[in-house]
Amino acid sequence: MHIQLSLQSGPLYEQIEYQIRAQIFSGELRAGETLPSIRTLARELKIGVITAKRAYDDLIREGFLYAVQGKGIFVSEKREDDLVNGKTERLKEQLRAAKRFAAENGVSPEQFGKILKEIMEETDERS
Amino acid sequence: MNGLEIKDVVVDFGSFRLDATLSVPRGCVTGLVGRNGAGKSTLIKAIMRQVEASGDILYNGIPFGGNETEVLRKIACVFDSPHFNAYLKPKRLVKIVKGMYPAFDGDLYAELMKKFGLPDDKLVRTFSTGMKRKFGLILALCQKPDILLLDEPTSGIDPYDRGVVIDLIQQFMLDEGHTVLFSTHITEDLDKIADYLVFLQNGKILLSEEKETLCETYRLVQTAALSEEMKEGAIGVQKSMFGYTFLTKQKEVSGENVLVKTPTVEEIFVHLLGEEERK
Repeated sequence: MHIQLSLQSGPLYEQIEYQIRAQIFSGELRAGETLPSIRTLARELKIGVITAKRAYDDLIREGFLYAVQGKGIFVSEKREDDLVNGKTERLKEQLRAAKRFAAENGVSPEQFGKILKEIMEETDERS
Repeated sequence: MNGLEIKDVVVDFGSFRLDATLSVPRGCVTGLVGRNGAGKSTLIKAIMRQVEASGDILYNGIPFGGNETEVLRKIACVFDSPHFNAYLKPKRLVKIVKGMYPAFDGDLYAELMKKFGLPDDKLVRTFSTGMKRKFGLILALCQKPDILLLDEPTSGIDPYDRGVVIDLIQQFMLDEGHTVLFSTHITEDLDKIADYLVFLQNGKILLSEEKETLCETYRLVQTAALSEEMKEGAIGVQKSMFGYTFLTKQKEVSGENVLVKTPTVEEIFVHLLGEEERK
């Protein structure tokens, strides 16, 4: 597992979540593999315990990881629809990045929605 | 449970008065921020029972009265200037500290002194600021406390040593029964490792909140022009030649030449304080 964080790239827990998801999809992290504990993750990444906990909690809720009381945190078994989920997740990440870019540049949610619609229509025309 | 439960603690120096009620969650790092003279050191000294204070403090749920020895053995503090006799050598000082703290971990002491290249047989007063700070932290950690208080542990030391100190704090936090309260001017340290933030101003708690929540609650807005809509809820507006910078709780701020971002701890602090001082 490898994680790189930057204080300039949005919430730290989102960066962790994204990178762990990506490594699960790429097969770099395998089902059943043990991840570092919340406190070890916090120390290794030099982040707060709550930030580390939030990243793991989200990934557990999404089904990517599971926790066994007293044993640790593990990567979940791959599911049938993982590939689809993976793509959806990646798409979501890209849209989130676009959303951040929009917000940072003063594009309102309405404008953002409109632009997205325009793009969708573009594609329709081509196909 | 909270590592520290501070209820109506008042320290009155006449010219300065600290009046604080505050919970410091166990298992977390809480950063204490405030201007010089805001009362950070006084609060830490009150918790360490080094100044006269009224009110109640619970240490991992245990009151001080009737449990003095137990409580004092479970809390350790690193002050910004060494509170030990600098005319002694570490090997002599350690013997004294060992006598005061039966749980003192001699192996950990030897390990950390070696790791950080601190000499055991030189007068502490000949140490550099960074060495003194690391030595103070090593002594505190080897007392095997549950609650660690740090007054400006990273000020006046070079970036490398700062990293070392931060790592020692995080190593201490591997045990979820441990609590850290950490005052600092270097808010950069808090951007990453703090779980909770407390802002002190003129002896009062201005704010106490989870860091993630704070950074999500507030946006930092830079704008060329300040619209009426923005003015509403703009906190600590700063004006420059090129426009305005302020903090806001508004979720959506848009317009031409507007930049919105997640604030750093320093930005939250500066703007909230600016707003308070303006009042």
